[in-house]
Amino acid sequence: MGLPLFNTSDDPGPSFFHFAQSTGLTPPVSSASATSAHATTVIAVRYQGGVVMVGDRQATGNYIASRDVRKIEAADRFTAIAISGTAARGIEFIRMAQLSFEHYEKMTDTTLSLEGKANYLSPIIQRNNLSSPLLVLPLLAGWDVALRVGRIFEYDGAGGCYERFDFSTIGSGTPFAEGTLRLGFNAELDRDGAIELGALAMYEAGDNDPSTGGPDFVRHLFPMIVTISSDGFQELEHDDVAERFRVINERRTQSGGVAGGSLR
Amino acid sequence: MSNYFYVAPEQLIRDRAEFAQKGIARGRSILGAIFDTGVVVVAENPSASLFKISEIYDRIAFAGVGKYNEFDRLREAGIRWADSTGFTYSRGDVDVRALANYYAQHLGDMFTEGQKPLEVEILVAQLGNSTRPTKLYRIAYEGTIADEPRFAVLGGDAETIKARFAASEDSLEPLTTTLKNAVGALAGPDRTIAVSDLEVGILEDRGERRTFTRLNDDQVSELLR
Repeated sequence: MGLPLFNTSDDPGPSFFHFAQSTGLTPPVSSASATSAHATTVIAVRYQGGVVMVGDRQATGNYIASRDVRKIEAADRFTAIAISGTAARGIEFIRMAQLSFEHYEKMTDTTLSLEGKANYLSPIIQRNNLSSPLLVLPLLAGWDVALRVGRIFEYDGAGGCYERFDFSTIGSGTPFAEGTLRLGFNAELDRDGAIELGALAMYEAGDNDPSTGGPDFVRHLFPMIVTISSDGFQELEHDDVAERFRVINERRTQSGGVAGGSLR
Repeated sequence: MSNYFYVAPEQLIRDRAEFAQKGIARGRSILGAIFDTGVVVVAENPSASLFKISEIYDRIAFAGVGKYNEFDRLREAGIRWADSTGFTYSRGDVDVRALANYYAQHLGDMFTEGQKPLEVEILVAQLGNSTRPTKLYRIAYEGTIADEPRFAVLGGDAETIKARFAASEDSLEPLTTTLKNAVGALAGPDRTIAVSDLEVGILEDRGERRTFTRLNDDQVSELLR
Protein backbone atom coordinates (compact mmCIF):
# COMPACT_ATOMS: atom_id res chain seq x y z
CA MET A 1 0.00 0.00 0.00
CA GLY A 2 1.23 3.48 -0.84
CA LEU A 3 0.76 6.58 1.26
CA PRO A 4 -3.03 6.80 1.83
CA LEU A 5 -3.81 10.45 1.10
CA PHE A 6 -7.38 11.69 0.67
CA ASN A 7 -9.13 14.84 -0.48
CA THR A 8 -11.04 16.68 2.19
CA SER A 9 -14.35 15.54 0.68
CA ASP A 10 -13.67 11.80 0.68
CA ASP A 11 -11.47 11.61 3.77
CA PRO A 12 -12.66 8.74 6.01
CA GLY A 13 -11.78 10.68 9.18
CA PRO A 14 -10.53 9.00 12.35
CA SER A 15 -12.57 5.82 11.86
CA PHE A 16 -10.29 2.93 10.96
CA PHE A 17 -13.25 0.81 9.87
CA HIS A 18 -14.36 3.34 7.27
CA PHE A 19 -10.81 3.78 6.09
CA ALA A 20 -10.39 -0.01 5.81
CA GLN A 21 -13.60 -0.22 3.79
CA SER A 22 -12.56 2.56 1.45
CA THR A 23 -9.28 0.81 0.70
CA GLY A 24 -10.71 -2.72 0.44
CA LEU A 25 -8.86 -3.95 3.51
CA THR A 26 -11.97 -5.60 4.98
CA PRO A 27 -13.38 -8.61 3.12
CA PRO A 28 -16.26 -7.85 0.78
CA VAL A 29 -19.75 -8.60 2.00
CA SER A 30 -20.99 -11.94 0.72
CA SER A 31 -23.85 -14.30 1.37
CA ALA A 32 -22.09 -17.67 1.24
CA SER A 33 -23.99 -20.33 3.12
CA ALA A 34 -22.38 -21.64 6.24
CA THR A 35 -23.85 -21.69 9.68
CA SER A 36 -22.43 -21.83 13.11
CA ALA A 37 -23.89 -22.15 16.56
CA HIS A 38 -23.08 -19.57 19.19
CA ALA A 39 -21.09 -22.10 21.11
CA THR A 40 -19.75 -20.07 23.98
CA THR A 41 -20.53 -18.58 27.32
CA VAL A 42 -19.22 -15.19 28.31
CA ILE A 43 -20.60 -13.44 31.38
CA ALA A 44 -20.26 -9.84 32.52
CA VAL A 45 -21.32 -8.79 36.02
CA ARG A 46 -21.32 -5.25 37.27
CA TYR A 47 -20.09 -4.58 40.79
CA GLN A 48 -19.45 -1.50 42.91
CA GLY A 49 -16.03 -0.72 41.47
CA GLY A 50 -16.21 -2.08 37.94
CA VAL A 51 -17.12 -5.12 35.88
CA VAL A 52 -16.16 -8.79 36.16
CA MET A 53 -16.07 -10.90 33.00
CA VAL A 54 -15.87 -14.67 32.83
CA GLY A 55 -15.36 -16.52 29.56
CA ASP A 56 -15.18 -20.22 28.74
CA ARG A 57 -12.25 -21.53 26.72
CA GLN A 58 -13.81 -24.07 24.39
CA ALA A 59 -14.08 -23.77 20.60
CA THR A 60 -16.77 -26.07 19.31
CA GLY A 61 -17.50 -27.19 15.77
CA ASN A 62 -18.82 -30.69 15.15
CA TYR A 63 -16.37 -31.69 17.84
CA ILE A 64 -14.26 -29.80 20.37
CA ALA A 65 -11.73 -27.95 18.26
CA SER A 66 -9.80 -26.26 21.05
CA ARG A 67 -9.90 -26.10 24.83
CA ASP A 68 -7.85 -23.01 25.48
CA VAL A 69 -9.33 -20.25 23.33
CA ARG A 70 -9.36 -16.72 24.73
CA LYS A 71 -12.75 -15.13 24.12
CA ILE A 72 -12.15 -11.99 26.17
CA GLU A 73 -9.52 -9.49 25.14
CA ALA A 74 -8.54 -6.01 26.24
CA ALA A 75 -9.67 -3.58 23.57
CA ASP A 76 -7.69 -0.90 25.33
CA ARG A 77 -6.65 -0.17 28.91
CA PHE A 78 -10.18 0.37 30.24
CA THR A 79 -12.25 -1.70 27.83
CA ALA A 80 -12.77 -5.42 27.39
CA ILE A 81 -14.40 -7.05 24.43
CA ALA A 82 -15.73 -10.62 24.28
CA ILE A 83 -17.06 -12.59 21.33
CA SER A 84 -19.49 -15.34 20.59
CA GLY A 85 -20.29 -16.80 17.20
CA THR A 86 -18.00 -17.66 14.32
CA ALA A 87 -14.39 -17.74 15.48
CA ALA A 88 -12.84 -16.29 12.33
CA ARG A 89 -15.21 -13.33 12.26
CA GLY A 90 -14.93 -12.90 15.99
CA ILE A 91 -11.16 -12.66 15.93
CA GLU A 92 -11.27 -10.20 13.04
CA PHE A 93 -13.87 -8.24 14.96
CA ILE A 94 -11.66 -7.98 18.05
CA ARG A 95 -8.66 -6.90 15.98
CA MET A 96 -10.79 -4.31 14.20
CA ALA A 97 -12.15 -2.95 17.48
CA GLN A 98 -8.74 -2.79 19.17
CA LEU A 99 -7.17 -1.05 16.21
CA SER A 100 -10.12 1.30 15.68
CA PHE A 101 -9.98 2.65 19.24
CA GLU A 102 -6.22 3.19 19.03
CA HIS A 103 -6.48 4.65 15.52
CA TYR A 104 -9.06 7.17 16.68
CA GLU A 105 -6.84 8.13 19.60
CA LYS A 106 -3.80 8.70 17.40
CA MET A 107 -5.69 10.57 14.69
CA THR A 108 -7.53 12.96 16.99
CA ASP A 109 -5.37 13.03 20.12
CA THR A 110 -8.43 12.25 22.25
CA THR A 111 -9.73 8.97 23.63
CA LEU A 112 -13.19 7.76 22.62
CA SER A 113 -15.71 7.69 25.45
CA LEU A 114 -16.92 4.23 26.51
CA GLU A 115 -20.33 4.97 25.03
CA GLY A 116 -18.65 6.14 21.84
CA LYS A 117 -16.81 2.82 21.59
CA ALA A 118 -20.04 0.89 22.22
CA ASN A 119 -21.92 2.77 19.50
CA TYR A 120 -19.02 2.51 17.07
CA LEU A 121 -19.32 -1.29 17.07
CA SER A 122 -23.02 -1.30 16.11
CA PRO A 123 -22.70 -0.75 12.34
CA ILE A 124 -19.77 -3.18 12.16
CA ILE A 125 -21.92 -5.92 13.73
CA GLN A 126 -24.85 -4.98 11.55
CA ARG A 127 -22.77 -5.08 8.39
CA ASN A 128 -21.43 -8.52 9.28
CA ASN A 129 -24.59 -10.15 10.55
CA LEU A 130 -27.09 -8.89 8.01
CA SER A 131 -24.94 -9.89 5.08
CA SER A 132 -23.39 -13.16 6.19
CA PRO A 133 -24.47 -16.30 8.02
CA LEU A 134 -21.13 -16.22 9.83
CA LEU A 135 -22.56 -14.38 12.80
CA VAL A 136 -20.65 -12.64 15.49
CA LEU A 137 -22.10 -11.19 18.69
CA PRO A 138 -19.81 -9.32 21.02
CA LEU A 139 -20.09 -8.05 24.55
CA LEU A 140 -18.39 -4.83 25.56
CA ALA A 141 -17.57 -3.90 29.13
CA GLY A 142 -15.39 -1.20 30.52
CA TRP A 143 -14.56 1.33 33.14
CA ASP A 144 -16.06 4.71 32.24
CA VAL A 145 -13.27 7.11 33.21
CA ALA A 146 -15.59 10.12 33.02
CA LEU A 147 -18.48 8.71 35.08
CA ARG A 148 -16.23 6.50 37.22
CA VAL A 149 -18.43 3.40 36.99
CA GLY A 150 -18.20 0.04 35.28
CA ARG A 151 -20.57 -0.31 32.31
CA ILE A 152 -21.77 -3.22 30.19
CA PHE A 153 -23.08 -3.03 26.60
CA GLU A 154 -24.72 -5.94 24.82
CA TYR A 155 -25.83 -6.21 21.19
CA ASP A 156 -28.57 -7.91 19.25
CA GLY A 157 -28.00 -9.65 15.93
CA ALA A 158 -28.76 -6.55 13.91
CA GLY A 159 -26.22 -4.44 15.76
CA GLY A 160 -28.57 -2.81 18.26
CA CYS A 161 -26.61 -1.69 21.32
CA TYR A 162 -28.14 -1.91 24.80
CA GLU A 163 -26.61 -0.92 28.08
CA ARG A 164 -27.14 -3.36 30.95
CA PHE A 165 -27.01 -2.14 34.51
CA ASP A 166 -26.76 -5.55 36.18
CA PHE A 167 -25.23 -8.35 34.12
CA SER A 168 -25.19 -9.80 30.65
CA THR A 169 -24.31 -13.09 28.99
CA ILE A 170 -23.70 -14.16 25.42
CA GLY A 171 -23.45 -17.57 23.77
CA SER A 172 -25.21 -20.91 23.91
CA GLY A 173 -24.77 -21.25 27.68
CA THR A 174 -26.85 -18.11 28.28
CA PRO A 175 -30.03 -19.77 29.67
CA PHE A 176 -28.10 -21.59 32.39
CA ALA A 177 -25.74 -18.76 33.24
CA GLU A 178 -28.55 -16.22 33.22
CA GLY A 179 -30.62 -18.28 35.65
CA THR A 180 -27.79 -18.30 38.14
CA LEU A 181 -27.09 -14.60 37.68
CA ARG A 182 -30.73 -13.66 38.17
CA LEU A 183 -30.88 -15.47 41.47
CA GLY A 184 -27.49 -14.31 42.73
CA PHE A 185 -27.19 -10.70 41.56
CA ASN A 186 -27.66 -7.68 43.75
CA ALA A 187 -26.54 -4.10 43.25
CA GLU A 188 -24.27 -4.16 46.31
CA LEU A 189 -21.95 -6.86 45.01
CA ASP A 190 -18.26 -6.20 45.62
CA ARG A 191 -15.42 -7.47 43.46
CA ASP A 192 -15.10 -10.82 45.19
CA GLY A 193 -18.85 -11.37 45.24
CA ALA A 194 -19.12 -10.61 41.54
CA ILE A 195 -16.25 -12.94 40.71
CA GLU A 196 -17.83 -15.73 42.72
CA LEU A 197 -21.24 -15.22 41.11
CA GLY A 198 -19.72 -15.08 37.63
CA ALA A 199 -17.71 -18.25 38.24
CA LEU A 200 -20.78 -20.05 39.56
CA ALA A 201 -22.82 -19.00 36.52
CA MET A 202 -20.03 -20.29 34.29
CA TYR A 203 -19.97 -23.57 36.23
CA GLU A 204 -23.70 -23.98 35.58
CA ALA A 205 -23.32 -23.21 31.88
CA GLY A 206 -20.43 -25.66 31.57
CA ASP A 207 -22.46 -28.27 33.40
CA ASN A 208 -25.53 -28.01 31.15
CA ASP A 209 -24.43 -26.68 27.79
CA PRO A 210 -22.41 -29.13 25.65
CA SER A 211 -20.75 -26.28 23.77
CA THR A 212 -19.43 -24.48 26.84
CA GLY A 213 -16.21 -25.63 28.43
CA GLY A 214 -16.48 -25.49 32.19
CA PRO A 215 -13.53 -25.98 34.54
CA ASP A 216 -11.32 -28.79 33.25
CA PHE A 217 -9.65 -30.36 36.29
CA VAL A 218 -7.99 -33.04 34.19
CA ARG A 219 -6.04 -30.64 31.95
CA HIS A 220 -5.98 -27.91 34.55
CA LEU A 221 -7.66 -25.48 32.14
CA PHE A 222 -10.14 -22.99 33.58
CA PRO A 223 -12.43 -20.30 32.22
CA MET A 224 -10.73 -16.93 32.16
CA ILE A 225 -11.77 -14.24 34.61
CA VAL A 226 -10.97 -10.55 34.19
CA THR A 227 -11.89 -7.38 36.02
CA ILE A 228 -12.11 -3.91 34.51
CA SER A 229 -11.93 -1.17 37.13
CA SER A 230 -10.16 2.13 37.75
CA ASP A 231 -6.97 0.03 37.67
CA GLY A 232 -7.76 -0.98 34.09
CA PHE A 233 -8.10 -4.42 32.53
CA GLN A 234 -6.72 -7.15 34.80
CA GLU A 235 -6.78 -10.88 34.32
CA LEU A 236 -6.92 -13.11 37.39
CA GLU A 237 -3.98 -15.44 37.93
CA HIS A 238 -4.45 -19.04 36.84
CA ASP A 239 -4.08 -20.41 40.39
CA ASP A 240 -6.59 -17.91 41.77
CA VAL A 241 -9.16 -18.96 39.14
CA ALA A 242 -8.41 -22.65 39.73
CA GLU A 243 -8.99 -22.27 43.47
CA ARG A 244 -12.36 -20.55 42.98
CA PHE A 245 -13.60 -23.30 40.68
CA ARG A 246 -12.21 -25.97 42.98
CA VAL A 247 -14.31 -24.59 45.86
CA ILE A 248 -17.49 -24.59 43.75
CA ASN A 249 -16.74 -28.08 42.48
CA GLU A 250 -16.12 -29.35 46.00
CA ARG A 251 -19.43 -27.96 47.20
CA ARG A 252 -21.24 -29.51 44.26
CA THR A 253 -19.56 -32.86 44.82
CA GLN A 254 -20.70 -32.91 48.44
CA SER A 255 -24.28 -32.13 47.47
CA GLY A 256 -24.24 -34.95 44.96
CA GLY A 257 -24.70 -32.57 42.05
CA VAL A 258 -27.70 -30.80 43.56
CA ALA A 259 -27.54 -27.08 42.87
CA GLY A 260 -30.49 -25.79 44.89
CA GLY A 261 -30.89 -23.96 48.18
CA SER A 262 -27.93 -23.12 50.37
CA LEU A 263 -25.86 -25.74 48.59
CA ARG A 264 -25.29 -23.55 45.54
CA MET B 1 -4.10 30.82 -29.21
CA SER B 2 -2.26 31.24 -25.95
CA ASN B 3 1.42 31.96 -25.64
CA TYR B 4 3.72 29.82 -23.51
CA PHE B 5 6.85 31.52 -22.31
CA TYR B 6 9.89 29.38 -22.00
CA VAL B 7 11.18 28.99 -18.46
CA ALA B 8 14.44 27.13 -18.01
CA PRO B 9 14.03 24.06 -15.77
CA GLU B 10 16.80 25.33 -13.48
CA GLN B 11 14.89 28.55 -12.98
CA LEU B 12 11.62 26.69 -12.30
CA ILE B 13 13.20 24.47 -9.67
CA ARG B 14 14.96 27.43 -8.08
CA ASP B 15 11.72 29.38 -7.85
CA ARG B 16 9.84 26.47 -6.34
CA ALA B 17 12.61 25.79 -3.83
CA GLU B 18 12.71 29.43 -2.82
CA PHE B 19 8.95 29.45 -2.36
CA ALA B 20 9.00 26.36 -0.14
CA GLN B 21 11.99 27.54 1.88
CA LYS B 22 10.31 30.86 2.60
CA GLY B 23 7.23 29.09 3.93
CA ILE B 24 9.25 26.75 6.12
CA ALA B 25 11.51 29.51 7.45
CA ARG B 26 8.50 31.30 8.93
CA GLY B 27 7.90 28.52 11.46
CA ARG B 28 10.00 27.62 14.47
CA SER B 29 12.43 24.74 14.47
CA ILE B 30 12.24 21.21 15.81
CA LEU B 31 15.07 19.07 17.12
CA GLY B 32 14.98 15.28 17.37
CA ALA B 33 17.80 13.44 19.14
CA ILE B 34 18.63 9.93 20.27
CA PHE B 35 19.40 9.55 23.99
CA ASP B 36 20.69 6.50 25.85
CA THR B 37 17.34 4.72 26.16
CA GLY B 38 15.15 6.36 23.53
CA VAL B 39 14.40 9.21 21.18
CA VAL B 40 13.33 12.71 22.19
CA VAL B 41 11.74 15.29 19.90
CA VAL B 42 11.54 18.92 21.04
CA ALA B 43 9.59 21.70 19.36
CA GLU B 44 8.99 25.30 20.19
CA ASN B 45 5.21 25.50 20.06
CA PRO B 46 3.12 28.06 21.93
CA SER B 47 -0.07 26.12 21.18
CA ALA B 48 -1.02 23.39 23.65
CA SER B 49 -3.42 21.69 21.26
CA LEU B 50 -2.11 22.04 17.71
CA PHE B 51 0.70 19.56 18.00
CA LYS B 52 3.78 19.29 15.84
CA ILE B 53 4.95 15.99 17.35
CA SER B 54 2.75 12.88 17.22
CA GLU B 55 2.56 9.15 17.55
CA ILE B 56 2.41 7.16 14.32
CA TYR B 57 2.80 3.62 15.61
CA ASP B 58 4.08 1.54 18.51
CA ARG B 59 7.69 2.63 17.99
CA ILE B 60 7.38 5.44 15.44
CA ALA B 61 6.95 9.18 16.00
CA PHE B 62 6.34 12.02 13.57
CA ALA B 63 7.22 15.72 13.67
CA GLY B 64 6.56 18.44 11.14
CA VAL B 65 7.46 22.10 10.58
CA GLY B 66 5.98 24.54 8.11
CA LYS B 67 2.32 24.75 7.14
CA TYR B 68 0.23 22.98 9.76
CA ASN B 69 -2.53 21.75 7.41
CA GLU B 70 0.03 20.26 5.06
CA PHE B 71 2.08 18.30 7.59
CA ASP B 72 -1.02 17.28 9.53
CA ARG B 73 -2.35 15.56 6.43
CA LEU B 74 0.96 13.75 6.09
CA ARG B 75 0.71 12.72 9.75
CA GLU B 76 -2.76 11.27 9.18
CA ALA B 77 -1.60 9.41 6.09
CA GLY B 78 1.30 7.98 8.12
CA ILE B 79 -1.01 6.70 10.87
CA ARG B 80 -3.29 5.13 8.29
CA TRP B 81 -0.42 3.54 6.45
CA ALA B 82 1.08 2.13 9.66
CA ASP B 83 -2.22 0.86 11.07
CA SER B 84 -3.25 -0.83 7.84
CA THR B 85 0.20 -2.37 7.32
CA GLY B 86 0.13 -3.76 10.87
CA PHE B 87 -3.44 -5.01 10.36
CA THR B 88 -2.58 -6.74 7.08
CA TYR B 89 0.71 -8.31 8.20
CA SER B 90 1.77 -8.00 11.83
CA ARG B 91 2.66 -5.17 14.16
CA GLY B 92 6.32 -6.13 13.91
CA ASP B 93 6.30 -5.58 10.15
CA VAL B 94 5.72 -1.85 10.39
CA ASP B 95 9.09 -0.27 9.62
CA VAL B 96 9.96 3.40 9.55
CA ARG B 97 12.13 3.20 6.44
CA ALA B 98 9.21 2.25 4.20
CA LEU B 99 7.16 5.13 5.60
CA ALA B 100 10.03 7.62 5.20
CA ASN B 101 10.38 6.56 1.55
CA TYR B 102 6.67 7.08 0.89
CA TYR B 103 6.89 10.53 2.43
CA ALA B 104 9.96 11.34 0.33
CA GLN B 105 8.23 10.18 -2.85
CA HIS B 106 5.12 12.18 -2.11
CA LEU B 107 7.04 15.36 -1.26
CA GLY B 108 9.18 14.87 -4.38
CA ASP B 109 6.09 14.44 -6.57
CA MET B 110 4.44 17.51 -5.12
CA PHE B 111 7.61 19.52 -5.62
CA THR B 112 7.91 18.73 -9.32
CA GLU B 113 4.32 18.07 -10.36
CA GLY B 114 2.08 19.74 -7.80
CA GLN B 115 0.39 23.08 -8.14
CA LYS B 116 2.84 24.27 -5.53
CA PRO B 117 5.43 22.44 -3.44
CA LEU B 118 4.47 21.53 0.11
CA GLU B 119 5.89 24.03 2.56
CA VAL B 120 6.90 21.41 5.10
CA GLU B 121 9.84 19.50 6.43
CA ILE B 122 9.24 16.35 8.43
CA LEU B 123 11.01 14.00 10.79
CA VAL B 124 10.12 10.35 11.35
CA ALA B 125 11.80 8.55 14.22
CA GLN B 126 11.86 4.91 15.16
CA LEU B 127 12.82 3.44 18.53
CA GLY B 128 14.92 0.37 17.88
CA ASN B 129 14.57 -3.09 19.40
CA SER B 130 16.27 -6.45 18.92
CA THR B 131 15.26 -6.60 15.26
CA ARG B 132 15.34 -2.96 14.16
CA PRO B 133 17.71 -0.03 14.63
CA THR B 134 16.85 3.31 16.18
CA LYS B 135 16.43 5.72 13.27
CA LEU B 136 15.90 9.39 12.52
CA TYR B 137 14.87 10.32 8.99
CA ARG B 138 14.56 13.95 7.95
CA ILE B 139 12.62 14.58 4.77
CA ALA B 140 12.79 17.98 3.10
CA TYR B 141 10.16 19.80 1.02
CA GLU B 142 11.59 18.56 -2.28
CA GLY B 143 11.75 14.92 -1.20
CA THR B 144 15.37 14.75 -0.11
CA ILE B 145 15.65 12.12 2.57
CA ALA B 146 18.45 12.13 5.11
CA ASP B 147 19.30 9.34 7.54
CA GLU B 148 20.58 11.23 10.57
CA PRO B 149 22.87 9.24 12.85
CA ARG B 150 22.42 11.07 16.17
CA PHE B 151 20.13 14.08 15.84
CA ALA B 152 18.15 16.03 13.25
CA VAL B 153 17.02 19.64 13.06
CA LEU B 154 14.10 20.87 10.97
CA GLY B 155 12.91 24.36 10.13
CA GLY B 156 14.19 27.74 9.12
CA ASP B 157 17.05 28.17 11.51
CA ALA B 158 18.28 24.58 11.15
CA GLU B 159 21.94 25.26 10.38
CA THR B 160 22.65 27.44 13.44
CA ILE B 161 20.73 25.13 15.77
CA LYS B 162 22.52 22.16 14.31
CA ALA B 163 25.90 23.76 14.99
CA ARG B 164 24.89 24.54 18.59
CA PHE B 165 23.66 21.03 19.32
CA ALA B 166 26.62 19.39 17.56
CA ALA B 167 28.87 21.09 20.12
CA SER B 168 27.41 18.84 22.84
CA GLU B 169 28.79 15.43 23.78
CA ASP B 170 29.04 12.93 20.93
CA SER B 171 28.05 9.87 22.98
CA LEU B 172 24.48 8.99 23.96
CA GLU B 173 23.46 10.68 27.19
CA PRO B 174 20.53 10.41 29.59
CA LEU B 175 17.25 12.12 28.70
CA THR B 176 17.79 15.04 31.09
CA THR B 177 21.10 16.00 29.47
CA THR B 178 19.88 15.52 25.91
CA LEU B 179 16.71 17.51 26.58
CA LYS B 180 18.69 20.37 28.17
CA ASN B 181 21.06 20.46 25.22
CA ALA B 182 18.17 20.37 22.77
CA VAL B 183 16.30 23.22 24.46
CA GLY B 184 19.55 25.19 24.74
CA ALA B 185 20.27 24.69 21.04
CA LEU B 186 16.73 25.73 20.03
CA ALA B 187 16.83 28.85 22.23
CA GLY B 188 20.35 30.02 21.47
CA PRO B 189 22.60 31.98 23.82
CA ASP B 190 20.47 35.13 24.09
CA ARG B 191 17.07 33.78 24.91
CA THR B 192 15.23 31.23 27.02
CA ILE B 193 12.11 29.34 25.98
CA ALA B 194 9.32 29.11 28.56
CA VAL B 195 8.33 25.54 29.45
CA SER B 196 4.76 26.31 28.35
CA ASP B 197 6.12 27.04 24.85
CA LEU B 198 7.84 23.68 24.58
CA GLU B 199 6.35 20.56 23.09
CA VAL B 200 8.25 17.41 23.95
CA GLY B 201 7.55 13.88 22.76
CA ILE B 202 9.60 10.81 23.56
CA LEU B 203 9.83 7.22 22.38
CA GLU B 204 10.98 5.00 25.23
CA ASP B 205 10.41 1.41 26.33
CA ARG B 206 8.28 1.22 29.46
CA GLY B 207 7.32 -2.43 29.19
CA GLU B 208 4.29 -1.61 27.05
CA ARG B 209 3.59 -2.07 23.37
CA ARG B 210 3.23 1.64 22.67
CA THR B 211 6.32 3.68 23.40
CA PHE B 212 5.30 7.25 22.55
CA THR B 213 4.53 9.79 25.28
CA ARG B 214 3.95 13.49 25.12
CA LEU B 215 5.46 15.10 28.20
CA ASN B 216 3.38 17.67 30.08
CA ASP B 217 4.75 20.97 31.39
CA ASP B 218 5.45 19.58 34.87
CA GLN B 219 7.39 16.64 33.49
CA VAL B 220 9.41 18.93 31.22
CA SER B 221 10.22 21.38 34.08
CA GLU B 222 11.26 18.45 36.24
CA LEU B 223 13.64 17.17 33.55
CA LEU B 224 15.09 20.62 32.84
CA ARG B 225 15.77 21.38 36.50
